Amino acid sequence: MSDTIPADIADKTDVTPAAETPCQDDSTRKASAIELRGLHKRFGRDTVALDGVDLHIQAGEFFTLLGPSGCGKTTLLRILAGLEEPDQGTLMVGGKELTEVPPHRRSVNTVFQSYALFPHLSVRDNLAFGLKMRGLPAAKRDAKVDEIADFIKLGDLVDRRVDQLSGGQRQRIALARALVCEPDVLLLDEPLSALDAGLRSQLQVELQRLQKRLGMTFVFVTHDQDEAMVMSDRIAVLDGGNIQQVGAPSDVYERPANAFVARFMGHDNLFAIHRSEGDWVETEIGRMRLLPEEQRDTSDGWLLVRPETLELGPEVPEGYNRMEGIVRERLYRGSRIEYRLEVNGQVVMAVASNLGQRIHREGDEVTISVCPEDLVRVAA
Amino acid sequence: MVEITQHTMRRRAVVSEMRHLLFSVTPGAAWIIIFLVLPSAYLMGVAFMTNGPYGLPQMPLTLDAFERLAGFGFLGWSPGNLYTLLRSLWQTLLSTTLVVLVAYPIAYYITTCRERWRPIMLLAVVVPSWTNQVIRTFGWMNLLAPGTPLAELAEGLGLIAPNMGLYPSNFAVTLGLVYNFLPFMVLPLYAAFEKLDTAQVEAAQDLYASPARAFWHAVFPQTLPGLLAGIVLVAIPAFGMYVIPELLGGGKGMMLGNLVATQFSGGSNWPLGAAGAILMLIATFIGLFAMRRIGKRLGGGEEVVI
Amino acid sequence: MSKRALKRGLTGFWWLTLFFLYLPLAVVVLFSFNSANSSASFSGVSLRWYHRLLGNEQILSAFANSMVLAVVSSVVALVIGCLIGYGMYRHRHRKLGWLIVLIYLPIVLPDIVFGISEMAFFVQIHQATGLLKPGLGTMIIAHVTFQIPFVALIVYSRFVGLDPTLFEAAKDLYATPFKRVLHFMLPTIKPALISAFFLSFTLSIDDFVISFFTAGPESATLPIYIWGAIKKGVSPEINAIASLMIGAVAVAAILSLVFSRRRQT
Repeated sequence: MSDTIPADIADKTDVTPAAETPCQDDSTRKASAIELRGLHKRFGRDTVALDGVDLHIQAGEFFTLLGPSGCGKTTLLRILAGLEEPDQGTLMVGGKELTEVPPHRRSVNTVFQSYALFPHLSVRDNLAFGLKMRGLPAAKRDAKVDEIADFIKLGDLVDRRVDQLSGGQRQRIALARALVCEPDVLLLDEPLSALDAGLRSQLQVELQRLQKRLGMTFVFVTHDQDEAMVMSDRIAVLDGGNIQQVGAPSDVYERPANAFVARFMGHDNLFAIHRSEGDWVETEIGRMRLLPEEQRDTSDGWLLVRPETLELGPEVPEGYNRMEGIVRERLYRGSRIEYRLEVNGQVVMAVASNLGQRIHREGDEVTISVCPEDLVRVAA
Repeated sequence: MVEITQHTMRRRAVVSEMRHLLFSVTPGAAWIIIFLVLPSAYLMGVAFMTNGPYGLPQMPLTLDAFERLAGFGFLGWSPGNLYTLLRSLWQTLLSTTLVVLVAYPIAYYITTCRERWRPIMLLAVVVPSWTNQVIRTFGWMNLLAPGTPLAELAEGLGLIAPNMGLYPSNFAVTLGLVYNFLPFMVLPLYAAFEKLDTAQVEAAQDLYASPARAFWHAVFPQTLPGLLAGIVLVAIPAFGMYVIPELLGGGKGMMLGNLVATQFSGGSNWPLGAAGAILMLIATFIGLFAMRRIGKRLGGGEEVVI
Repeated sequence: MSKRALKRGLTGFWWLTLFFLYLPLAVVVLFSFNSANSSASFSGVSLRWYHRLLGNEQILSAFANSMVLAVVSSVVALVIGCLIGYGMYRHRHRKLGWLIVLIYLPIVLPDIVFGISEMAFFVQIHQATGLLKPGLGTMIIAHVTFQIPFVALIVYSRFVGLDPTLFEAAKDLYATPFKRVLHFMLPTIKPALISAFFLSFTLSIDDFVISFFTAGPESATLPIYIWGAIKKGVSPEINAIASLMIGAVAVAAILSLVFSRRRQT
């Protein structure tokens, strides 16, 4: 556990699974793959929420739907939950077609953004609600609830009233309420967005650990790319009702499929390519050499230069691309230093680890070098 | 794999939604239509029919009832009904004004008291209205009867003739109306005072200095929506009041409600009574409409009026 | 005028108003214990009027009528009003202006117009078909009509105050439509249902005008009986029965205070 988190918060919000995993036998067996084909969904006449989505989510995967608000990620999640019916297309979970199956007959549970804990019930009854609706006898319900409470270390929270819980506690109860039903798939709709930053980053790690222990298929919705990268096995980036890219966090971050994905993943250093020629491209910030596999026939597109790949210093290693720039701004962040540079009239961001080398000052003229292997060509 | 077309899925969803709407809303809507809308429509129809034997309506259609209501009878024009109508208007106006004058300081006073006392104070104002209207009015009959201290005081001051008592009289009706409707005005005014933006009042005191002007420019406009809601709650039922004038008013204190009721309970003239009811409805809807218009102009928004 | 003088003046006015509000009720209660048959002078404490009540079958049957009317109409209105309140909530995004008008109609219609139109209508239906004979049945119908809107509005506002995702959570947690009603909706709106029932009950007991016009010869309620007694000539017995009704209201007031206090803490 991170020691940057105050003891009292850490104490209340520890969701690290206990050594024993009670649901393990069941859940590893139950983990299901999801297959989406040609999903279309429209609201009203003009709003297209999903515009032909095909997606395969593997069994036991932590899969994240990432995108700005209105991109269709929540609609997709709601279709998985059965709370929304697609206009066209099919949904299969664990090999069974679920497109028209109502939510109460799907072995899929959701952790809602507002947590949606029933105000008229105690925490214990909230946890037991799904089991009760499935017709499990009271004794078995109690046993399962105790088990999950133990597993997620809810402690005495189980005997509280819902209105006595803090945000973080509600989040854990909502999670436990969904998990206790041992669903084939767990859906999480921005479950951490209402929490403050410290608690949030702690829960990100712990939620991911929990998923690995359970081996359950998690589908997670967020608009926060850092959150998505920390937690996910794979990420689907959505925009305008279409999937822009699917891949592991490193793929999506390092090799974004297009300019939208690159910008959404937080990349600022995107420079228009004017002309390609052999291994070389002509860009806004000068002539650069790329690896042969980055070359395309078309001359449009963008060059992505990740700030951490830029080296500032007089000597340029053999085969590196070289630029001349001026430091316009410097942000000292302790472990690293961020520079806002001006190259060829363009703003270029660079990040240097603080390893004791020379720190440049505003106004300094610097030589910038970058290895061709680190340059990525991004489609428009 | 089954390709489900957009069309059939949409239509199925719409059909199930409509069925749901029908199932939930129909019983109540049908109840109100059958047992209130149809009867009211029938009553309106009766107003245009001829008065038959035993006061029951008959064909053909005629405007006789409205002429009678305006005072034209077999013996020519008499002002009786017109007086009743004017009296109803006057009593409504007078009692509403008096209720405002009493309720305004009371509502303000409650908001100046400590927070834990306020619900109790409001309850204290409202509780008398939980008792049946007939009993409350009967209480006033006890108080205003000949020989009671109040009646003797009035006698001593020369306000009434000896051994007459303070009721039946128009004064007693006004008193009864004010008593009856006071809580209906206090509640919305209290709500308005409670929401009062004190920063505005302080700013006003800062700028104008005079308390009277601060009240007029900063306090009064903010309480206006509550005041309007209160006026609707008081004036509309006061205009149609039946019990109070019947018990406290006597023949010379009759209001429109009594005129209407007499035409039905005595079995004397349904069309005339129905015409009176139409008049009352028109007044009600004009009142509601006017308040809505003024309320909208003030930006009071959609304050629910119950 | 100084602030303190204003406050003192308002305090005086407050107590004066309270005196005005409670004086008529106090007089009724006081004279219910009067040993003499007079409403002008008090000549000694006695319970004779209360004793008389117990022997008065008309009063006992009027009391029974009032109770049956209030309970039955409140239950019927609760069911119908609850459905319509839920319908209004579920379909609040549709244009339901006509429904809102319909629901407000019983509230805004003057009592006398309400009562008379129902009476005239019932009489005609009765003459034509033999149904709807004036009596408890017609009174129940009339009372349900004015109770429905209040139940519907209370239930509606409770639903509007809920997090809409709760409905989805219930679906997501395997509740069938029937179980959603039984285990989620009804328990969640229970407080609203309780207060709607008590409001309906109070409105029914409180009503005189509508009952008066829709009643039959056998179905007089307490207020109708009291009305008749007053019209015949004031009798101290009325003070006794009226005092009992005031007592019931006082109990209800104390209960509501206790409950609202408990809810706050």
